[in-house]
Amino acid sequence: MVLLVPAALLALLFLYYPLVFIVQLSFTVADSFLSPAGPVYTLDNYKAMFDRYLPNVLVTLQLATLATIVDLLFGFPFAYILVRRIRYRTLVRALMVFPMFGALYIAFGMRFILLPGGFATPILQLFGIDPASLLYSLPSVVFAMAIFTFPFMVMNVATALSNVDPTLEEAAACLGARPWQTLIRVIIPLTRAGIVAGMLMVFGWSVGTFAEPLLLGTINEQRALALTLYQRGVVQTDYGLSSAMGIVLLVIALLVSYFSLRYSRGALIE
Amino acid sequence: MTATADPRAQGTTASPPEESRAPLLSSRRVTAALSHVYIWACLLVFVAPFLALLGYSLTGPGGTYAVANFQYVLGSFGDNLVSSFQVAALTLIVDLAVCLPAAYALVRFTFRGRRLIFSILSLPLYVPGAVIGLSLILTYNFTYHISSIWGLVLAMAVGTFPLMLTPIVVAMKDLPLVFEEAAECLGASRWQAYRRIVLPLIGPGISAGLLLAFIIVFNEYLVTLFVHPPGLVTAPLRVFNLIRTAGLAPTTAALAVSLQLVSFVAVLIFFRLFGSRNLKGTYFV
Repeated sequence: MVLLVPAALLALLFLYYPLVFIVQLSFTVADSFLSPAGPVYTLDNYKAMFDRYLPNVLVTLQLATLATIVDLLFGFPFAYILVRRIRYRTLVRALMVFPMFGALYIAFGMRFILLPGGFATPILQLFGIDPASLLYSLPSVVFAMAIFTFPFMVMNVATALSNVDPTLEEAAACLGARPWQTLIRVIIPLTRAGIVAGMLMVFGWSVGTFAEPLLLGTINEQRALALTLYQRGVVQTDYGLSSAMGIVLLVIALLVSYFSLRYSRGALIE
Repeated sequence: MTATADPRAQGTTASPPEESRAPLLSSRRVTAALSHVYIWACLLVFVAPFLALLGYSLTGPGGTYAVANFQYVLGSFGDNLVSSFQVAALTLIVDLAVCLPAAYALVRFTFRGRRLIFSILSLPLYVPGAVIGLSLILTYNFTYHISSIWGLVLAMAVGTFPLMLTPIVVAMKDLPLVFEEAAECLGASRWQAYRRIVLPLIGPGISAGLLLAFIIVFNEYLVTLFVHPPGLVTAPLRVFNLIRTAGLAPTTAALAVSLQLVSFVAVLIFFRLFGSRNLKGTYFV
């Protein structure tokens, strides 16, 4: 048990205590806890969260939801092909690590790609889209977020798919099912746990988005919670309000992660 | 993944009889071709931001090719790179010091609440970076009064040690108890058995943990933005600051490209040495 002490200390001192500290701060007025007269307690910060800053919460949820949907639409076929059809999986995995190096580089790269005269200009014009309209817009933020979290979706779905016996699909085909029937009646029900876990995981990661809305979004997307929290807390030193934002963000992320872990049945310690 | 057993099964069921009499453009072949195209299109999209930055970092004034941009990486960005490596190295040391004993305790001893403790220790993975950053900078400023590099290192360590813990726990669980028992029967102390037997055998798991933690720490900008001590700017944070203040510049792109290349080389070395098997149960498939 002594062996667990370093890990426990690290987690307690540098995660749990600070979180308790900002819970406390979130109930105080601005930076009143610094005043010699003692902190002034209030619920106003949370009232503001459901009133003045409700759009910020909603934008955060909207971005995370859209990124999750994009990831699912592109990630499910990707995972299926990866597990069933591809022999060069190691190569694919090695290339798939690129998004994990960070949302910052993705956002930076995409901003460059979308610049007038950039890489994407001819391709976008082919589809009749004005590239200038995409540079600072909702779709490009969502797309950057989706690229960043794509590997998590693929990981979850691929794990679930590799546990499904391929003979079940062949049996369905032999019994006269069309491919889409096999998909809807056999594959999706059998991999539902992985799909749900992947969606929740992606969603949980996406609510903390920071660089993508900052570099690719309009004023509207830049209202994402993590970004507002930085502005209010570090730039404008309204510690009470930014702590309340942090707590709201934390609660969303933890709730989602809790359900994700329950669905993925990933009990490592048994 | 159990996929290692699949290719043989697929080979026998799918290809030989049909392809021998199938016409050149059978629907099966079209589907197969489309699958590959789809995978490569997705991969291209993943790598596109990197490739774009790479191309951009090589452009000089007036559309010329300029490798000179990369001289900045070692020149004026040199300090940032040094701090990045410094922070990464210190963080990995802290992570190891924390994870090795914890993994041993979690796997080799049975006690009530093991799963709960593992969950409590894994929680940092699910806390958004901005929340970790905010809570730590407020605690550092008003309670702990830390303003040295250790504040940043410990912030990184608390965010990444669960990443390292997972592969080490998996490796310890896959290691049969008999090796340690044999060593102890032959007179080794528990510490000797650990150092001479267990540690080398869980080496791949430890390396996987080191790789994951390194990639995250080396490219981390968000928590760093909150808690970096005055005067210390890591390379990813420099990229972030430059994009915000100076907009797009080929030299910034060169720095971002170099950071990604260092990370990618780390991944390639790991794949070469150990294969992707040891990353099971972590971020990688």
